[in-house]
Amino acid sequence: MSVLYIALPIAIFLGAAGMVACIRCIRSGQYDDMDTPAVRMLIDDKPSVEKKQTKDK
Amino acid sequence: MNKRLRDSSDLANPQQPQNMVPDSATPDKSAPESKSDSRTPSKVSREAPCTHCDLPTPYVGENPPHPLFCCNGCRGAYELIQGWGLDSYYDLRDQANGERNRMPEATDKGRFDSFDDPEFLGLSTPKQQSDGLQSAQLAVHGLHCAACAWLIENAAQQTEGWNTARVHLGDHTLRVMFDPATCSLSGIARLLHRLGYELAPITKQPDAHFRKENRRLLTQIAIAGFCAANAMWIAVALYAGDASGVAAEHRLLLRLMGTGLGLIAVAVPGRTFFRGAFAALRTWTPHMDLPVALGLSVGTVTGTVNAISGRGDVYFDSLAVLVFFLLVGRWIQFHQQHRAAKAVDLLLRITPAHANRIAADNTTDWVLVDTLRPDDQIRVAAGESLPADGIIAAGNTTLDRSLLTGESQPVAAQTGDEVSAGTLNLSRSIDVTVRAVGSESRIGRVMQSVESAMAERTPIVQLADAIGGWFVVIVTLLAIAALVIWSGEGWGLAAGHATALLIVACPCALALATPLAIAVSLGRAAKRKILIRDGASLQLLASKGILWFDKTGTLTEGRSRAQVLYGPETALSDAAAVERDCSHPIASAIERECLLQGLTPPDDAELLVVETGGVQGVCEGRQIVVGNIPFLTSKGIVCSAEILAAVDASLQIAATPIVIAVDGVATTVLGLSDPLRQQAAETVATLQRRGWQVGILSGDHPAIVAAVAQQIGIPLELAHGGLLPADKLERVRQPQSMITVMIGDGANDAAALAAADVGIAVRGGAEVSLQAAPIFIASGRLTSIVELIRGSSATSKLIRTTFAVSLSYNLFAVGFALAGWISPLLAAVLMPLSSISVLSLTLAWPTFRSP
Repeated sequence: MSVLYIALPIAIFLGAAGMVACIRCIRSGQYDDMDTPAVRMLIDDKPSVEKKQTKDK
Repeated sequence: MNKRLRDSSDLANPQQPQNMVPDSATPDKSAPESKSDSRTPSKVSREAPCTHCDLPTPYVGENPPHPLFCCNGCRGAYELIQGWGLDSYYDLRDQANGERNRMPEATDKGRFDSFDDPEFLGLSTPKQQSDGLQSAQLAVHGLHCAACAWLIENAAQQTEGWNTARVHLGDHTLRVMFDPATCSLSGIARLLHRLGYELAPITKQPDAHFRKENRRLLTQIAIAGFCAANAMWIAVALYAGDASGVAAEHRLLLRLMGTGLGLIAVAVPGRTFFRGAFAALRTWTPHMDLPVALGLSVGTVTGTVNAISGRGDVYFDSLAVLVFFLLVGRWIQFHQQHRAAKAVDLLLRITPAHANRIAADNTTDWVLVDTLRPDDQIRVAAGESLPADGIIAAGNTTLDRSLLTGESQPVAAQTGDEVSAGTLNLSRSIDVTVRAVGSESRIGRVMQSVESAMAERTPIVQLADAIGGWFVVIVTLLAIAALVIWSGEGWGLAAGHATALLIVACPCALALATPLAIAVSLGRAAKRKILIRDGASLQLLASKGILWFDKTGTLTEGRSRAQVLYGPETALSDAAAVERDCSHPIASAIERECLLQGLTPPDDAELLVVETGGVQGVCEGRQIVVGNIPFLTSKGIVCSAEILAAVDASLQIAATPIVIAVDGVATTVLGLSDPLRQQAAETVATLQRRGWQVGILSGDHPAIVAAVAQQIGIPLELAHGGLLPADKLERVRQPQSMITVMIGDGANDAAALAAADVGIAVRGGAEVSLQAAPIFIASGRLTSIVELIRGSSATSKLIRTTFAVSLSYNLFAVGFALAGWISPLLAAVLMPLSSISVLSLTLAWPTFRSP
């Protein structure tokens, strides 16, 4: 049962690593806006096409 | 100035320090500091300060005399203050200085001082008001629920010079009004910092502090989640170990691990609750964080004692899960409040968020409206809403301006015309030079007045506030009672039950119910073009009473129409041709009718006679007389029996009869009337079915008012005609047991609209109307009134329901917890459930939904 002394810290460490990764994501702003990405696909992407055209010229 | 006052009389003063340099030896321009610096550079610390201004004096010695002055000006001021008997000023000043010196960090002082700097404040720079006060809007961090708003608003009342504070829970902002002479913004910031709130200037993006708070909450949830999950599986292992046996050393390891995780959960993400509770204790104000923090501490202490002694339960799995659930609940509430505020942040709904900006090289680029600056050029395609106020730089089009003006007809707009955000471009693409964006635009200002409704304290909100305060006190007392009752069964059990009670009874949902319901309703109403300036009107409209309609322009179109009742329509074009140059309403009604019938009046008409009652002229060689019967008779024209019958018929339907005679023969009878608005009868019938009394208050002739009343089903005793604006005011003001509602034009019924319990403006500009009446129907449709009434009673029902739900939840929860049926873990799950149930009820409730 002494494996518990190794397994338990490893489990906690893995969990902590996940938590740190999650906090990094939060800090980088991934969760700032939960609504807009869902709507963003509805915004016309005409401007980018226009930009491309002007660049092509 | 002090230096200039220095004169020879200083020397004559016996209290003047002996070694003071005679003025004749000191040039007038030198400052006291430089004098001392040059003379005694090593003894600066021993210089005695001036009694009045605290600046160093030239006196150097062990026992400075008192009082001691740096100059004659200070002496004068000191003597003046003494003379007035205001010497406690000096004590107060010293106290204030001491307070400042006691600030925890030296940098803090600088931090708050920047609150008086317009550069730092940006958009939050205080604005001078006409009454000498200054008002500013700032962001507040650390708001949780209505109790925080209550605390801040009370702090304002008890601070001198700080007149009012209005906390806007929806978007976490605070509007303060203060007297710049006695109070400064930095002082307010410092005070709120001591209460546990952080002020910040609002930025271009009002979302910046939302983002910060959101990240903070999510980070805390992540940590709490990690702790809770691991503490849980450790707890499972312990329970399994209890059942199937576990080595004592492993058991100890698991318990210590679980305790460690629990302590992290309580100390790191859980400190939010302790901070709130400390602030509550410091100001002696009941706050929802108090019971939670109390519960957490009781649990932590018991758990730690048990973990160390190795006996009894460690509560840390429950505590970690509790912190996790509480934070999740708080995050959901925060998010929903923000969303509700967004719904009322009507600018976003009514004006587009993106604009097509034209760059210097004539290419276009989609940008966020927030980034637009005055003098930018934007292109607005047909069918799009204008994102900003401005002036048309190129192109002609027609605009639907109904949102701002209530007029339903499209309006033509050419290059050079002013246009407003929120109007709809109907026909062609236009280029617009931007003048004002966002809250600076016309519609932005209207929306601000609507938004301020959210912070309005309706009576039922006040009730909730009062109950909330008592609630915390009662719950805390009950928790102590639980501790006492169960103490016979062992300390651990008693602590567990008390903890559960404290947690499960959080009055969060209670505080949330009403503001949320009103915010959501106002937002939805605005989307349906019903602008409501104050939430209290919603509650008033939910009961029944009497509705007074103005007639002209409200029930009717407000423009008369000349309908042919008898005879050939061709006479209409003759009459129009003759009356072309008259600016009389009858003339324009006849002209309009000509247009409606598709007739073109001949050009070569001549107007000969204009008298009271009618006109006479010549059109294509025909003699035309247009007027009433007496006028025709005076011109020697005899009317046939058919004509007279038609005139009678016209009077029957409350239309003014006009007769047209061609070459001396009366041929046509026109009925001049103000047609009823569409759905007027339907609206009145619906309102009456809902239990409202409906009446008319009109300045028009009583007979016409009576006829209109008959047509739309209003009882004659409630149809009053021939009233002056003052008479209308009188009637609206009459003390009545029922709610009095006035519905009328924004402009000409302003007094009556303002005097009624609830005023509803249906025409005119939004800015003017909302000043006179708390409600403006921008759709211009009478059916919106039905919608409004329906929405109000739905909102009122919603408030009562959510109130009942949260109150009964709390009653049952406290009862069960007192009986010991709820474990701390179950309490942690139940608590956010009550908030969520209130939220989902509010969001699902059909207020202001399309029928």
